[in-house]
Amino acid sequence: MINYVIRRLLYTIPIVFGVLLITFVLFNVVGGDVTDQIAGKAASKETRDEIRAEYGWDKPLIFALDSQFVNHIKNAVTFNFGRSWSDRERIVDKIKRGAGPSLSLTIPMFIGTVLISISLALVVAFLRGTVFDIIVVLLCVAGMSIPFLSFILFGQYFFAFKWSLFPVFFWPDLSPLQYVALPVIIGIAAGLGSNLRFYRTVMLDEFRNDYVRTAFAKGLSTHKVLFKHVLKNAMIPIITQVVMAIPFLFLGSLLLERFFGIPGLGYLMIEAIASRDFQVINAMTYIGAILFVVFNIITDICYSLVDPRIRLE
Amino acid sequence: MEKAFKSLILLLICLSFITGCKNAAKQGDANEMVLYSALAAKVRGLDPGDIGDTTSSVVASQIFECLYQYHYLKRPYELIPQLAAQMPIASEDGLTYTIKIKKGICFSDDPCFKDGKGRQLVAGDIVYAWKRIANIKYLSKNWWIFDSRIVGLDEFREYTKTCKKAIDVDYSYPVGGLQTPDDFTLVIKLKKPWPQIVYLLAHLPTAPIAKEAVDYYSKDIINHPVGTGPYKLKIWNRGSYIELVKNPDFHDEFYPSQAASGDVQLGLLSDAEKKLPLVDRILLMNIQESPPRWFLFLQGKIDLSAIPKDNFESTIDQRGGLTEDMKKRDIHLGIFRDPSTYWIGFNMEDPVLGGNKPLRMAISCAVDKAKFIELFTNNRAEIAYGFIPPVMKSYSSAVKDISPVRYDVNRARELVEEAEKIYGGKIPKLVFTLPGTDVVVRQYGEFYSRCFKEAGLDIEMEYMDWPTFQDKVKTKSAQIFSLGWIADIPDSENFLQLFYSKNVSPGTNNFNYSNPEFDKIYEQISVMPDSPERTKLYRKAEQIVVEDCPAVFLYHGVAYVLYHDWLHNYKPHGFGYGLSKYRRIDVKKRAAYKDLLKNIK
Repeated sequence: MINYVIRRLLYTIPIVFGVLLITFVLFNVVGGDVTDQIAGKAASKETRDEIRAEYGWDKPLIFALDSQFVNHIKNAVTFNFGRSWSDRERIVDKIKRGAGPSLSLTIPMFIGTVLISISLALVVAFLRGTVFDIIVVLLCVAGMSIPFLSFILFGQYFFAFKWSLFPVFFWPDLSPLQYVALPVIIGIAAGLGSNLRFYRTVMLDEFRNDYVRTAFAKGLSTHKVLFKHVLKNAMIPIITQVVMAIPFLFLGSLLLERFFGIPGLGYLMIEAIASRDFQVINAMTYIGAILFVVFNIITDICYSLVDPRIRLE
Repeated sequence: MEKAFKSLILLLICLSFITGCKNAAKQGDANEMVLYSALAAKVRGLDPGDIGDTTSSVVASQIFECLYQYHYLKRPYELIPQLAAQMPIASEDGLTYTIKIKKGICFSDDPCFKDGKGRQLVAGDIVYAWKRIANIKYLSKNWWIFDSRIVGLDEFREYTKTCKKAIDVDYSYPVGGLQTPDDFTLVIKLKKPWPQIVYLLAHLPTAPIAKEAVDYYSKDIINHPVGTGPYKLKIWNRGSYIELVKNPDFHDEFYPSQAASGDVQLGLLSDAEKKLPLVDRILLMNIQESPPRWFLFLQGKIDLSAIPKDNFESTIDQRGGLTEDMKKRDIHLGIFRDPSTYWIGFNMEDPVLGGNKPLRMAISCAVDKAKFIELFTNNRAEIAYGFIPPVMKSYSSAVKDISPVRYDVNRARELVEEAEKIYGGKIPKLVFTLPGTDVVVRQYGEFYSRCFKEAGLDIEMEYMDWPTFQDKVKTKSAQIFSLGWIADIPDSENFLQLFYSKNVSPGTNNFNYSNPEFDKIYEQISVMPDSPERTKLYRKAEQIVVEDCPAVFLYHGVAYVLYHDWLHNYKPHGFGYGLSKYRRIDVKKRAAYKDLLKNIK
């Protein structure tokens, strides 16, 4: 297994290099020049030239030892992303500061969604074809059809503003539990439809297998069949879905963070996109890519742990 | 299953109990006067020398002070000394300004100073701040203020080009036009008369900054503002909120005792002669989306707010006053004219538009400004006929009669026919570039598109993000574009420079407009002190532009601001920034608002 992990880690090098190449082309070649934005109104040519020199945009693009691309790689490898041009703050500091609030929102949202949707999926799959199943499926489709923004606006208006059950927005006096509660609930509600439908399908596939009938024939309780046999055998698609979602938790939730004032990485990304702060977008994309690759390997390892038939070779 | 469902409901009830609306009570100690406000955009930095956006200016101006400031209550806008002891003494030729600085003003305490105790402000701090802006390695956005204005400062900028980094610059390098005969006298020598300098001395980027702070914090100076102002930065949770607290060492400054007519009736003089600042603490929340901002305002968590477009009808009735619901909440409305003008600009270097005045006039006649204002601003604007907004002293309502165009589709069609004769065939499809890609901007596009089509013109709308748009305009690639200007100072010269031929793109003249007659007048008035003769020339210059039609002047903004009953001394101001020091909060009224809300419900 160690050999497999090492080999997979080596494979990540060309993948990450590819990501760096794409982000470089996107932001440095296609993205255009942001010098005017940094320079402000009525800036002279000499000021713009000075800005280009300061950020290294006057250097050759690729074919030189000190080219923009070489520096791009160098900075990525050393995690030295420099300073954001829009507010001159160190990008690493921005990311460090934003990770906590983002995770405080996305982790409970993720755990809540996974636990509720898997539990409900088991029940719904067990009661397949009944009125309960039909109602849940209909609700899932409805939930998937409603835009995420509508969930946010509806939740914020009724639960926070109209009925004052939760705070409308982040406030310095509040504890994270207080200001994160409503966005977490909204996030779970919005994500439940698609997740529940997916897990229901997975569970239904398992219920059709012979071993389930055998288990019931042997007189095992419903609880034991569902949680000890069906759930265990459905773990492969569940692991794929769950582990591969983890990297995205670090990137936060763009809309929820903005509407509820949670100063996380999603908020940071929206601001960076709006102001074309390529250095920030680039850093976030790079970190996201690394996390994605790493969690891909973790998924593979998990496969072999839950299913002895899978060998990592 | 049932057990799990019950647990879920229990969890929800517990959460709502913990997070309930009792939080409002935590907003501060009972007698502490706290001003709660919302920032609709991100604060980019608090270094006055590099500030180029309104939001950052609003915050930094509570911490830093300039030599002069605008009188809070008097209208038309009047400058008064702030750090200066008196108004500047100008030499007869208008080339030398002598400014005496108040003694005993100190920077706020900070670890950058010896023993952490803020030292006294001296004239050298102002010279340092200005040289810092001139330092090309510092990459300040505000060099335009001093560019080719002060004797020796451009040479200093040239010298900084020879330095490798910003920190290598020797600030003792002499600048002949910035002299400090003693610690409390500043002598400014100009290359040519510059009457607007006094307004720029009230402009935040010209505020003094302590060299010790810049050296101590280096590039992180943007996070550590050390000023002489009424407030100090306590917490800056980036992207989230800023907390400012009263500067205990703030120098003596008092609430004004003179006011404009009508201010007494509004209670704006009830704090006359009181020592400033009145409010103990300011909490500025970064709330970029309008729904939560509006909800927090209605809940009484923030003290003042603009009216979101979607909430306008529930806030303002058909007569232009507040609706009953707003009145029940004891909410007040402040309306004031912005020093702004918005337009559809033409690129005068474009081969189709530049040499074809009838075509530009046709477009002007085709755009229904009144409808645009009604549809997109909830009538919070005035139709523009020229570029000088009504709030400016040199505005003349006669511009309406001078303007050769009115909304008239038939006339627009006639003008298009005339334009086609000049062009030598059918006018090709025009391209209209708009900044923004959201729904509202696309609605603008639909509106303009309809106007152009009614006049018989083919039009293609282009939507792009602000940076791309700016790039397109600055590189003269945009044919027709939508833009506007908000004046930095209460002098119409600030608008006139937008049409001066030496300022063509990438400068501020985005129209790439050039008219020797206009240039001649502009060069004359740009060195003239304020006088009735100068005002006449301003109007003459505006007339030349309006007749040449390099833009469709759409509207001048009118701002509507709502504030709660407990916020006192609120008077809108077109140019002043550091105004929180004048505000007062009635803490008891604020506390009673919760009961009022219950009654309304």
